[in-house]
Amino acid sequence: MFGKYKPMWGEKTQLKSSYDAVIIGGGLHSLATAYYLAKEHGITDVAIIEKNYIGFGGAGRNTAIVRANQRTQYNVPLYKEALDLWPVLTKELDYNLMFNNCGNLNLMHSEAAMKAARMTICTAQYHGVESHLIDAKEAKELVPALNISEDITFPIHGAMFHPPGGIVRHDAVVWGLARGASKYGVEIHQQTEATAINTRNGKVVSVETDRGTINTSKVLISAGGYSASLINKMMGIRLPVSVLTIQAMVTQPLKPLLNHVVSSGAYHCYANQTLKGEIATGAHMDQWPNYTTQTTAHYIKHQAEALSEFLPCLRGVRFMRIWGGLADMTPDMAPIMDGNDQVEGFFFNCGWGYFGFKSCSAAGKHMAEFMANGEAPNILKPFNLKRYEEHKLMGETAALVTYTPDN
Amino acid sequence: MMTRFNQLPTLRIDPTKKVIFNYKGKSCAGSEGDTVATALYANGVRVFARSLKYHRPRGLYSLDGECSNTCMEVDGIPNVRTENTLAKQGMEVKEQNVKGSAENDMMAFIDKLDWMMPAGFYYRTMHKPASMWPVAMKQIRKAAGLGVMSPDHVTPGKFDEIFPRTDVVVIGGGPAGMQAALAAADKGVRVIIMESRPWLGGFFDYRAAEYSKGKPLYSRARELAEKVEAHPGIRVLKHTSMVGAYSNNLVTGFQIGGEGDSFTERYVEIRANAVVVAVGCIERPLIFDNNERPGVMQVACAHRLARTYGILAGEKALFSVGHDLGLEAAIDLYDLGMKIACVADIREDGQNPELLLELAKRNIPVLKGWVVTKAHGSKQVKKATIATIDGTITRDFNCNVIVASAGFTPITGPLTLAGAKLRYDSHTNFFIPETLPEKTHIAGRMTGLEDSMAIEASGTLAGIKAAMDSLACTCCGSESASEGDSEGDSKEKSSSSSCCEACDDAALKAAEEALKALPGPSRGTKLVTAPVKGRKSFICFDEDTTIKNIKQAIEMGFDVPELIKRFTSAGTGPGQGGIPGHNLPLFVAKYEALSGVPAPVRPTTVRPPLVPTLIATYAGTNHIMMKRTPMDEMQRSDGGIFRKIGVWERARYFSDDFECKAEIENVRNNVGMLDGSTLGKFRIHGPDALKALQRVYTSDMSKIKPGRVKYSAMCNDDGCVIDDGVVIKIAENDYYFTTSTGRAGQTVEWVRYHTRYDGWDFNMVNLTDSMGVINLSGPNARKVLQKITDEDVSNEAFPFSAYKEFMVKDTIPVKAMRLGFVGELSYEFHVPSSYMVSLWNMLKEAGKEFGIKNFGVEAQNVLRMEKCHIILGQESEQRTNLLDLGLGFLWDRKKTDAKTVGAVALAQAEKDQTRFRLVGFKMENNGRAPKDGSLIVDDKVRGYICTARDSFSLNEAVGMALVESHMAKIGTRLEIFEDECGDQRIYGKVVPMPFYDPDGSRMKS
Ligand SMILES: Cc1cc2nc3c(=O)[nH]c(=O)nc-3n(C[C@H](O)[C@H](O)[C@H](O)COP(=O)(O)OP(=O)(O)OC[C@H]3O[C@@H](n4cnc5c(N)ncnc54)[C@H](O)[C@@H]3O)c2cc1C
Repeated sequence: MFGKYKPMWGEKTQLKSSYDAVIIGGGLHSLATAYYLAKEHGITDVAIIEKNYIGFGGAGRNTAIVRANQRTQYNVPLYKEALDLWPVLTKELDYNLMFNNCGNLNLMHSEAAMKAARMTICTAQYHGVESHLIDAKEAKELVPALNISEDITFPIHGAMFHPPGGIVRHDAVVWGLARGASKYGVEIHQQTEATAINTRNGKVVSVETDRGTINTSKVLISAGGYSASLINKMMGIRLPVSVLTIQAMVTQPLKPLLNHVVSSGAYHCYANQTLKGEIATGAHMDQWPNYTTQTTAHYIKHQAEALSEFLPCLRGVRFMRIWGGLADMTPDMAPIMDGNDQVEGFFFNCGWGYFGFKSCSAAGKHMAEFMANGEAPNILKPFNLKRYEEHKLMGETAALVTYTPDN
Repeated sequence: MMTRFNQLPTLRIDPTKKVIFNYKGKSCAGSEGDTVATALYANGVRVFARSLKYHRPRGLYSLDGECSNTCMEVDGIPNVRTENTLAKQGMEVKEQNVKGSAENDMMAFIDKLDWMMPAGFYYRTMHKPASMWPVAMKQIRKAAGLGVMSPDHVTPGKFDEIFPRTDVVVIGGGPAGMQAALAAADKGVRVIIMESRPWLGGFFDYRAAEYSKGKPLYSRARELAEKVEAHPGIRVLKHTSMVGAYSNNLVTGFQIGGEGDSFTERYVEIRANAVVVAVGCIERPLIFDNNERPGVMQVACAHRLARTYGILAGEKALFSVGHDLGLEAAIDLYDLGMKIACVADIREDGQNPELLLELAKRNIPVLKGWVVTKAHGSKQVKKATIATIDGTITRDFNCNVIVASAGFTPITGPLTLAGAKLRYDSHTNFFIPETLPEKTHIAGRMTGLEDSMAIEASGTLAGIKAAMDSLACTCCGSESASEGDSEGDSKEKSSSSSCCEACDDAALKAAEEALKALPGPSRGTKLVTAPVKGRKSFICFDEDTTIKNIKQAIEMGFDVPELIKRFTSAGTGPGQGGIPGHNLPLFVAKYEALSGVPAPVRPTTVRPPLVPTLIATYAGTNHIMMKRTPMDEMQRSDGGIFRKIGVWERARYFSDDFECKAEIENVRNNVGMLDGSTLGKFRIHGPDALKALQRVYTSDMSKIKPGRVKYSAMCNDDGCVIDDGVVIKIAENDYYFTTSTGRAGQTVEWVRYHTRYDGWDFNMVNLTDSMGVINLSGPNARKVLQKITDEDVSNEAFPFSAYKEFMVKDTIPVKAMRLGFVGELSYEFHVPSSYMVSLWNMLKEAGKEFGIKNFGVEAQNVLRMEKCHIILGQESEQRTNLLDLGLGFLWDRKKTDAKTVGAVALAQAEKDQTRFRLVGFKMENNGRAPKDGSLIVDDKVRGYICTARDSFSLNEAVGMALVESHMAKIGTRLEIFEDECGDQRIYGKVVPMPFYDPDGSRMKS
């Protein structure tokens, strides 16, 4: 059945001195962009430059929650497309991305939250995305482990139920896209650090790496949490991005217990069960910018306190490991996808915070289109950088974001 | 049931005391001190569990919980490591992840199907055709996981937490750790020692070998333990596993309560000045065919089973080891009555000659340069094949136990969590720290030492260093002193001598010399796998990962241990990587070296908790903490229905009618009383107070008139409204202001932040908790107020928008404002919290004849909505600016010098025609109010409903909405999209605001 195994993303090759396009960072968005550049636009002479190994960043650290029930009409279509792409990509890549469309249950703990949820639900329904407001009892029917009594810090009033969402196997997406892209000829260079982008007459001419210079006329920085600092360092463009460490953790594996992704804003906590049976849980971010990816004692405790309240049976379950990654947050919790503007041939894609997994396929697809045609496709236009200069935030979050003192 | 030793001096069980528990519905007897697994072993249980993927039989392997082999369900809690969980009277113990029983598992056939499941097979199968995936997924979910957790399980027991502060924390209560604790405590610093076992002693505890002439190691261990426990400077936390280490020497762990303890488990978080890590080693698993068959166990497992628990693991054992401790165990177990088929030693030479002599005396054959290659027997070991290291010669031995261990490897988790970078050391074959974090020291076996004296000496040295780290110098101000943690009186004590404890390095030097004189780190064995193909040789037990799987992963391009771990899952199971931890990187390095690309040997990342920890334990006492206003109790007794809002609990309703008809009508017709104490309340004063106000508020604050209330707003840099409230000038350079409830916590920082470069001189005081607020509203409000004060409160003397300070009953100082949030004649009284109850009662009493009643937050919400007064967060969102809300009049465009936060953005937004705008609307055809949060649409989304209600006061449905500005014209028809509306729409029409009392005569008269 299985013969000799071949390297999934090609044999290690020498770095060439020139490529049609260079992509900095080996995360989800880079890999997806490269895949679609090759597949849809015939641009196969592409190098992905990755400092560590693919999946080192957020791509390998996220909790892989996917959904398309965002708040605004700019976001919903993009995320809907991404959500619809999981089965398509599974087939195209011939790699099991293990999409578990178990649905997301977003708990609401006050009348005000119910109203906020209704707006989000209306937006989804208006765009043909399934999402419903349900009461606490109905939520309990979906998730029998929920505590819907009054004697917890934030009693549950109801929930937003979004059946088409769920979880995907994040590593599979990284490896599947890498394999898919490399089949078309894309080269993935791991253990290679990009150090500078050279321009001439307002045009990109080459990329410097610790393994040599690469001539190219098109470069994309899409390096997750590292993007903003790279963009600043290499291109002198300052972005309104705060990079914060965000943590997640898993428990020991259990037989099926949670059949939906459950999340709560008030408790700063979400939980879902992976196919391996672990309860993956996270949500809280450091409140001060840092690149440490260090975990903290208070956070794992916070998470235990929160879960103890709204999913009390989990008190008898053990945490197995906690880890940290980076979240690059913009003031309006929406990404920045822009380029070919300040400098010809320079593109960037960042600000995905803690929600850049679910979007990677669609974002990559349209970034590829952007890079191939030189002009932003309509769906990406609202995500330009200019919106901040114009003081027109996107409204993806209802409340004011307070993760930095200077937002 | 087998006979157990009941006289050994090393025993940690009390054979005279029985513990009876239930195992699979049958009662099972152990001795006090038994773990569940040792009791079961004594009762003849050999197969404890089935493995995750292949359902292979699994047995007792290490006794230290490094794999999930003995995980069971105990008292409804799944995945309990029974090998280090003490058996208790009446426990309910069940097997998990088996169909049938662990002994006879119907799923066992899967073991033969391994060829279908190479590394990462699930990524490449089951998705074709697409319709198969949901079916397959169900099966995967069922097959995965180990234990079952019931959704209504209630975890029994009491959980607690402690947060001790100490000078030195010693992790590990073995000989090195105990010596470190003693040495540090003798220097006069406070010490905490953590030990995961229920006793101190480490690897001396069970060994009968000589420590010194006539003194066995176990005696030495007990002697040290006694000293440690008796030392007044040492706090001993036994049965406490260290699970995390964080910046600045914060160490976390959890303690299991024993008899007489007030807790079942408790979370322990220790802030220390210095840390000594002396956690020793574990045995590096030897990898060979069927290396996890029940009957295969590590050296210390077999040895401790006998010495600590009084159980001989089997009648006849074959030893395959790479270390002198293996030889020592063979001798000791032989003397205790075990037959030894032979001892295969990986090492060609270098054995301790005395041990060889003892083995020879007992006629135990020793084969040097040999290793076990296969365990035979389907559920339990029956036979072993051994071979020369190169695999050329083989021999078979009958036996029912294989004691196997490739060597030792240090427990590096605590070090890496603390921030140490590890490097591979080829002499010891250990990963040792390249650099140690500040004020962290290591000692004992984990440094490669083997000699008992050296191990202790290294502990003493580390203890002295750690103590010096945390002592403050009292004589010369020397560098080694850390800031300010010495005991107060030590200053006087040593001021006369030339040296203080902190600088006295004589002891340090002596300890260094002592250690140097003793044998250093010994050579470690390098072998990872016996000469086998590896199809059934397991590198990770929990995830059923074989050597073959690892090779497959490498071929597929996963060339870094970290990636191989992810791809094959090796090390991601409940054993927290205990089994594959160091073998994986060692194996990968070796295997890759074969292909000519030698890579640095680096272990995979270790993450907290090092020991799986109950969520209940992390949660600890977990008390709910909410703020309550001074009026909390009174409102509750008046029937208030409370809601948690931010950090507060507030009365939202005063009856079951959540539309609040009675409350609303009473305010409109009589008079109502609301507790507004959660409002943010601040005083800002000082010469530059006004400048600070000008910076953060959009209005011109220099224009505040004495005795008047100024309503204004604060914006962020985008011009978006973050706060609104009133400001009062109470004296020259002295202001009192309010913020919305939600902003109270951030306000001081906000003002400070936005004035940080100016060097202005002003002070701020947050009075939110020390002042309470009562809102008195309704046409009868004046009559009520008049009854409790002599102050002239007539409309002339105290008009709308005025501010007054007066005393009630000569005692209660009141700051009173005439406001009109709910659209009626209304007063807001700000009084010190301690007077709130009195004032509240007075008003209630005075208001009786005027029909005074409580009203809650929801009634207020409707009342103010009818008046079109906004609540931030309700009529605004993150992107809503001052102009969008129609509050442009609050922005003074002339005070450019003030550099008001948000002014630049507002100036820009003023020209922008594409923003949102707050509008009032009524429903067409007298229709019902739309639900809050519904959308305004046409061919796309144009806005949404902020608040809308069927108004009792107006007898029609009204509301406010944020819509695109081109739709803000009076008369515009609004198409409203509600959730679940399908094709149905309802319609409203933009109307002028406010709806209620448009000219404000009620609120102003
Ligand atoms: C704990 C956690 C939980 C999350 N949960 C979710 C979730 O449930 N759902 C969701 O949608 N999103 C989630 N996210 C967010 C998501 O993971 C990220 O938004 C996304 O992975 C970032 O995009 P990326 O994969 O393209 O970048 P990354 O994977 O972060 O890739 C960046 C890469 O760039 C490389 N790099 C950096 N500098 C250089 C250089 N100079 N040269 C070359 N390469 C360089 C890095 O090594 C890294 O591999 C989560 C994130 C975290 C941290």
